[in-house]
Amino acid sequence: MHCTSASLLRSALISSASRATTLPPLFLLPAFTISQTTPFSTTPAAHARRDGNRARGVSALRHTGIGKKQTLSVKLENLPQPVLDPKRRSKVEVDEDHGLWDFLPPSQAAIRTPEELHAHGRGWTVAELRKKDWDDLHRLWWVCIKERNRLATQAYEHDRIAGVDGMYGEHEAQGRDEEVRKTMKSVKHCLTERWYTWENARVAGMEDVEVDLTADLDRGEKAFLPREDGQVPVELGSEDDRRTDSGLPPPVNATAPNDARV
Amino acid sequence: MAVHAPFKVGMKEIYLPDFKLAFIRTIHLPANYASFIVPLWFSKLDLRDYLYHGYNLRIGPVIRSYVQQSRIRQGQVPSPTRPQYKRWHRPRSTKRMTVELERPFAWPERPDDLTAWNKEETKMANEEQGPLGKRLGPEGDQQGISNDRRTSMREQAKALLEGREKWKPGVSRGLGTSG
Repeated sequence: MHCTSASLLRSALISSASRATTLPPLFLLPAFTISQTTPFSTTPAAHARRDGNRARGVSALRHTGIGKKQTLSVKLENLPQPVLDPKRRSKVEVDEDHGLWDFLPPSQAAIRTPEELHAHGRGWTVAELRKKDWDDLHRLWWVCIKERNRLATQAYEHDRIAGVDGMYGEHEAQGRDEEVRKTMKSVKHCLTERWYTWENARVAGMEDVEVDLTADLDRGEKAFLPREDGQVPVELGSEDDRRTDSGLPPPVNATAPNDARV
Repeated sequence: MAVHAPFKVGMKEIYLPDFKLAFIRTIHLPANYASFIVPLWFSKLDLRDYLYHGYNLRIGPVIRSYVQQSRIRQGQVPSPTRPQYKRWHRPRSTKRMTVELERPFAWPERPDDLTAWNKEETKMANEEQGPLGKRLGPEGDQQGISNDRRTSMREQAKALLEGREKWKPGVSRGLGTSG
């Protein structure tokens, strides 16, 4: 129908003739009269081609949950629940030969009492350790290391249990640690002495006519080739044993301390 | 002890190490995890090697390590009797490492009865000596004086003024009846 303003006005007037209303402005009349029933475009909408990706739209990072097609072996209501109460949890079976038991007291308690800590003797002296070979000294060193680790573990746990007020046991642990450190110091002292003895012997041997340092003992070559006129007296032990071991008799042919070492 | 380690061992052989490790109780971690306080220069490879050769302990592939910085504080270590101000410093940081164990290890329970460590006595001693320390400290004149002490001092002053008692030197400040 050919719409003109006049025809629109007439239809508007006829529809609302019974009521006395203000007329809308002429340019707005199409909004009241014409009702569209058809879409804007008559072209059919293009449907998307079926995508083979079943996980389309599923993201762990975006918290989308599992997809519609995905099924899990366990249903949500059958999921196992964690036991939150520590008292209801099953006890952990710890092997007897677990390496970490070495960090704790031999009684397998959490910490040692002051009486247990105080029950120790004195550390090894240098004179006692001079008789020991390298393997024994090495083993003793590691015994000391493990004891110090045990004491360090004890110190930390002690502070945790004691809290602000504190409790006894620190002094005894410190005394024990001191003896262990004295032992370690003696071990190193003994090894250092031995090294210097070896070094002095090596230097002296390089200049000695009677000593052959390049001899291979496994093949039967002799390292010591004495002269025919006399035997050289051999002195065992260290010259410091005179100072530290009072039970030893005075050595024979002792070198005077004023002699300069070559 | 196994014939060879389950990891590639380093070339440097250390026969006499001189440091200590502390094994920490961690209740927030499961039983197959263990935590240690290690020297600050320690590395994860060092820890793996140390635990294997020293304690015959095999651990999982991942070791977690973190350094805990300490807060700035005054005074010197070991702490002397008098408070030391203005000597601001940051003590050395602590390095902690957490390892995963092949076999679980649960710490033994802490002792319930602490009488062997005299916990009660130390608590009582601190409660008694706390006010004394405050009175002798820098804020001593801000502490209140109890009424018992006031009456005692009043009576002592009266006795001195009336000539019933003679003043004697030698009693230290702060000691005597509490208050």
